[in-house]
Amino acid sequence: MNQHPNIPQPPRWADQLLEWFCAPHLLEELQGDLHEEFYYQVERIGERQARQRYIWDVLGFIRPFAIKRKSSLYPSTPIFPFDMLKSYVTIALRTLWRNKGYAAINSIGLSVAFCICTFLFLTAYFQLSFNSFHQNQERIFQTYFFKNAPEKIERMGNMPLPLTPALKAEYEDVEGAARVMEMRKSTLEYKGKFVEKDVTLTDPDFFQIFSFPLIKGNSKTVLMDLRSIVITKTMAQILFGKEDPMGKVLQIGGEGNQKGYIVSGVLADVPENSSIRFDALIRVENLPNYQATQNQWDAFSHKAFVKLAPHVDQKTFESRLKPFAQKYLTAEIESLKNRGAKPDKNGDIFAIRLQNLSKVHFDTDISSGPPIAMVYAIIGIGLFILFIACINFVNLSIARSFTRAREVGVRKTLGALKGQLFVQIWGESTLLCFLGFVVGLLLTYVLLPEFNAAFGAKFTIKYMLQPQVIALLFGLFVLVTLVAGGYPALQMAAFHPVEVLKGKISLKRPGVLRNSLIVAQFAMSALLACCSVIAFQQVNYMRQKPLGFEKEQVISIPVGSKANGRQVLQRMRNKLASDPAIVSITGTGVNLGRGKDGTNSRSVIGFNYKGKEVASDWLLVDYDYIKTLQIPLLGGREFDPAYPSDSLDRVVITQSMADMIGEKEPVGKFFQTDTAGAKIQIIGVVPDFHLYSLANEIKPITMHLSHSEPIHYIFVRVAPASLSASMDKMKEVWKEVAPGTEFIGSFLDENIEAWYRDVERLFQIFGLASFVAILLSCSGLFAVALLVIEQRTKEIGIRKVLGASIPAIIFVLSKDFIKLVLIALGIAIPLAWFFMQQWLNEYPYQIEISIWIFIGVGIAATLIALLTVGYQSIKAALANPVKALRSE
Amino acid sequence: MKRTYLGEFEEIVLLTVVLLEGNAYGVAITHEIIEQTGRSVRLNQVHAALQRLEEKGMVNSRMGEATAERGGRRKRLFTITAYGEQTLLDIQAIRSQLLHLLPRPLKPLTSI
Repeated sequence: MNQHPNIPQPPRWADQLLEWFCAPHLLEELQGDLHEEFYYQVERIGERQARQRYIWDVLGFIRPFAIKRKSSLYPSTPIFPFDMLKSYVTIALRTLWRNKGYAAINSIGLSVAFCICTFLFLTAYFQLSFNSFHQNQERIFQTYFFKNAPEKIERMGNMPLPLTPALKAEYEDVEGAARVMEMRKSTLEYKGKFVEKDVTLTDPDFFQIFSFPLIKGNSKTVLMDLRSIVITKTMAQILFGKEDPMGKVLQIGGEGNQKGYIVSGVLADVPENSSIRFDALIRVENLPNYQATQNQWDAFSHKAFVKLAPHVDQKTFESRLKPFAQKYLTAEIESLKNRGAKPDKNGDIFAIRLQNLSKVHFDTDISSGPPIAMVYAIIGIGLFILFIACINFVNLSIARSFTRAREVGVRKTLGALKGQLFVQIWGESTLLCFLGFVVGLLLTYVLLPEFNAAFGAKFTIKYMLQPQVIALLFGLFVLVTLVAGGYPALQMAAFHPVEVLKGKISLKRPGVLRNSLIVAQFAMSALLACCSVIAFQQVNYMRQKPLGFEKEQVISIPVGSKANGRQVLQRMRNKLASDPAIVSITGTGVNLGRGKDGTNSRSVIGFNYKGKEVASDWLLVDYDYIKTLQIPLLGGREFDPAYPSDSLDRVVITQSMADMIGEKEPVGKFFQTDTAGAKIQIIGVVPDFHLYSLANEIKPITMHLSHSEPIHYIFVRVAPASLSASMDKMKEVWKEVAPGTEFIGSFLDENIEAWYRDVERLFQIFGLASFVAILLSCSGLFAVALLVIEQRTKEIGIRKVLGASIPAIIFVLSKDFIKLVLIALGIAIPLAWFFMQQWLNEYPYQIEISIWIFIGVGIAATLIALLTVGYQSIKAALANPVKALRSE
Repeated sequence: MKRTYLGEFEEIVLLTVVLLEGNAYGVAITHEIIEQTGRSVRLNQVHAALQRLEEKGMVNSRMGEATAERGGRRKRLFTITAYGEQTLLDIQAIRSQLLHLLPRPLKPLTSI
């Protein structure tokens, strides 16, 4: 500042205030007058009063005449230039109307992409939101066993019953611990009304750990009583109607062994995005053999959840669990050591570890959710498609910008600023984007039921109206307008008016960006196409691979929990014994494939045979199992009612079991599952068959017969007649043999199909995505080709006049595009090979990736591109050169 | 009858502009009015009046030379227009005409 500090100054802030409110064209004279007056007053009444007076004077100028901005000869731009915007909209609508094809391709492409994206992101969002509704989620953990077995590291989510009580007793940091045992469907009864629902066994701490909201009852006390039951709202409505369920007695169990429970609470329905699903909760002590098993550390039967005190570190706590594991799980550790297991880098052979609740859903070892990679794949595919649509947008806008360059030039000459041009052109793209967005949302709304049906989802409009989802969709829209609209607008606004008006611009641009975008588009499409073909082949392979048994013409009927499976089976045998349409009937504990009851179980035994550790599936069967499934016998015989002791200590084993115990002639050999137990004799050997889906490796199976264990499934082989007639017949018979229970039988081959539904869904998503991607890419290519060929009309005319043949011209025009597609294929194929090899490695039975898949996709992509470009090229090549050359 | 849109204060400001011939700007006018009439006049009132006068076409203005005492800021100098002068004359004429027509002369206030 050049002002001397001793010279009095008017108050700075008053000056600033004046500068702020005063109209610029008045400021100089007003401020000058004010300052002059100030110095005059300083002389007259002293600085202090002059300053006060100055402030007073400044405030006096807060009047319309001083504030009002000049508006006479040269109007400054208003804050909201309504007329200008109106003109922009008019121009935008006119240009869009003039370029209907371009506008249609752009907005249809965008809306399809938006629609697909919405679905994919909804799916991903739903998966990612799993379990997020629990409070203090960061402190809730599921326990799992880490097992460093010699062959490979295993992780198991199933825990022994005494684990959580011991944990709670020995560690103060454990605020709550609950066992969660999901059972097969149970029959619940209230006053003669029956329902089949999921009853889950748990501990009172369940409500201390999780935040499932209670509608009725106190969360601290609902499960205090052994005979308490907490039910969901839906179930309360089904069983009790309008009655108040609190304090009423429910019966759970099948015929003859019903047990009464008192309703102590009603829960809101379990959210769809919960890993733990149930219709009712009772105490785990109600487990039939709880007394016998409550202290068994070697029977793994349920999931366990703990809530740690705040600020307890997961890693530290896990290391503090080491002595605990060594104390209680010695047997397990010893047997692993005997098998040659070595400690991992943490020094663990067999350890208890924790998985945070937020990750439980994606931990495929301990829960049934999809792997997190799948969710990322879905998000990735969504972004791919959106990106492809954006590329179309950018390419078309850039290509079209040459035709509009003159407009830009004229506007600039007339004084339009770069910013104004940007707003105008970007606004046009936004208009188009908005159109696509709205149509896309409408499409989503219309297709929601189809999507839900196809992918087993339960999305509703309500789901889409959540603030996060709306924010996500809006964010997508803004992103697309910025990327797809912003870039071309920036390009166009930067045109040099002189060059544009001279017509130079169209010669100058080689379109490197456009070409690389086309390459990116086709690379993505080809990648998705390869992936879906490979996924399809893998699913097909798994479906068609022989399973070791005959899956055709067998009806599988889940018995349910109300009826006694063994009695039903007996009645059925009696009734159908002489029926020629029935080949054979049997019962078992494990369903093949996924039936309509949706449940599946597995029991495994491990024992020592002549110093060898043996592990095998322990499969309960009934007479005629092998006959019904038409598994050939390799040696020995099947179970036979003529031998009474078959139901006590005889087994039929599979070939791999025979290999595992190392016996060439296993028939007649004995083994013991534990040293005190009975000697079990092998009476027959069958080839290996798949008891579980082909996503699992084939395992040794030991089949046994028992009159005491419950039969859960009945298999009936029917004669090769009309399949639906057989099913109807079984339905009729079922009414007589198992009155009061629902018939939910299905054909075994359908059940087997259901095993692969998840993979199938994956490949369907890939397939749909690649279809859309290819469609979008082609529409983009089509439009770009159209514009490029339009620009080259004159060149084509000259070529023709100079004697070029029509095929030569087509070749010249298509060549550039085909080159791009080939580059894209070169990028996509190695990527596809790499990713799909990773994916296939998860399957023990996998296809070889054939080179022909890539060749096929490559040829198809090239052909599609050729057809797309070809139509335009042929039209251009056939045109009369005179027309092209005459016009200027 | 023809009307002239001139308020009383505007009339005084306009007259002062004539009085200060060539050097009529905000501060000078304010001081002159205070001196001549003894009224307590504030700068903003004068500026507002000048603004209105200019809108009505009674005065013209131009920016003067930069002056040191105003921190180098220029003054806006006002001059009366022909229309302004005519208006002043019109007002004068109407008043004197009315005074002439009075039936008796006005008596000045001599004592309390």
